[in-house]
Amino acid sequence: MSAGALLVALRGATVGYGRRPLLGGVELSVRAGDFLGIVGPNGGGKTTVLRALLGALEPLAGRRELPAPLAVGYVPQRDLVDPIWPLTAEEVARMGRARLLRPGRRLGLADRETVREALARVGVGELADRPFRELSGGERQRTLIARALAAEPALLALDEPTNGMDPAGEEDVLELLDTLNRERGLAVVMVSHRLDVVARHAAALCYVDQARGLVRTGPADEMLEPEALAALFGRPVRLGGVVPAAAPAARGRP
Amino acid sequence: MVLRRTVFVSAALTQLSTLGLVAAIAVEERLGVEVERAGVQLAVAVAFSVAGALLLSRLQAGRRLPSEAGVGIAWVIAGALAVLGASQLVHAAHDLGSMVFGSAVAVPTSELAFLAAVALGCAAVHALFVRELVLVSFDAETARAMGIRAGGWNAVLFLTLGLAIPPAARAIGALPTFAFLTLPAAAALLLAARLPRIFAVAAGLGAASAAIGYGLSWTAQLPTGATMVAVAGLALVPGAALRLLRG
Repeated sequence: MSAGALLVALRGATVGYGRRPLLGGVELSVRAGDFLGIVGPNGGGKTTVLRALLGALEPLAGRRELPAPLAVGYVPQRDLVDPIWPLTAEEVARMGRARLLRPGRRLGLADRETVREALARVGVGELADRPFRELSGGERQRTLIARALAAEPALLALDEPTNGMDPAGEEDVLELLDTLNRERGLAVVMVSHRLDVVARHAAALCYVDQARGLVRTGPADEMLEPEALAALFGRPVRLGGVVPAAAPAARGRP
Repeated sequence: MVLRRTVFVSAALTQLSTLGLVAAIAVEERLGVEVERAGVQLAVAVAFSVAGALLLSRLQAGRRLPSEAGVGIAWVIAGALAVLGASQLVHAAHDLGSMVFGSAVAVPTSELAFLAAVALGCAAVHALFVRELVLVSFDAETARAMGIRAGGWNAVLFLTLGLAIPPAARAIGALPTFAFLTLPAAAALLLAARLPRIFAVAAGLGAASAAIGYGLSWTAQLPTGATMVAVAGLALVPGAALRLLRG
């Protein structure tokens, strides 16, 4: 995948569930190497926009543009993954290979090696044989990221990946995402209700608030200008000490 | 279904299967059919069960009702209609008890052969597609995001249930069928830690409790279906004791 190539886009999309539109006029594109944060209040429609972007939800109007088949690694909200299942961390991570294997085919040696590399890459290689349900919140999150990486994705999508984590665990996960984005040129799309957290890492932001019918996308540094923030939130907002992430070109990425 | 936290789907499908059986017998009586056609009755029960399974596989939480409510509604309506239908039967009303609780002592060889064939077919589908079925059961959201047809695989899983339940319910009754879909799996989850071993232990416990319960019902002159269920319930004890000991 060449740097900057368009991976997926929503063009004038109306997104929602059933026949009920939540947000209209969504314009959003993700290119190779992007780090996009989808932010907004709880219940604001962030996950709906992400689902539409990934093709898990058909737009009610407008279209989803997909220039070439897209390998997606997805990390759901941790609460959606039921810890009752008797699976080891490695068995969870192996699920990432599902799209790459024909139905009914077993994992081969190369697949297992890729899974083990993904676990090691995110720092939980030594936990491979541990039951997923016995891992800490941060370890589970890393295992889910390893599962997403095992899919050999061009786009890594994460839904509230730092929810319920302590500040140190949160920073660990975000640094990992930064590294994957910088070193591998992996496109990252991250949903969060925490603008201050996302702003430190994402180079572009998409602000979503269905209650106000608002969808606004732009480079993080522009979106975080005091005037832009005031326009988004309808009142003066100050993000204490946040330095927006540099745009991809400024980071020296290819 | 135990791990999916949807055990009552099995209960709803056994009720739907019983309703299909009652409907088939009622139609036979209305048409004045002299000799009961077990094959036709079973086919109608399978049709009811499969239709219910496909419907329940698509059940999603709405804005006002959780999906469990849909399962409960299917169970209770099917149960009530089966009782109402059976109350209108002239000749076969006495069969309702064995439909619900089962007899398991006078099952024709042809029905046993059909049950074995369906069970083997379903087990083969589960074994072949275990990776896909576990993924959509464990994390359907991620499966959909990865471009996997979660709804389709869900339907496959429910379809196997819908096919296997009617011949089992016809042979041993609705209650023992539901019990054997739940108790051995729950006991195995308490005893074993890894998924392949859990499947094996559940199958072994199911077979053992059926055999022991059957033998016990003969020697102690007890109702067969209920005895098998009670023995399957006892299979929970070692696992529960183990959990207690391990804290």
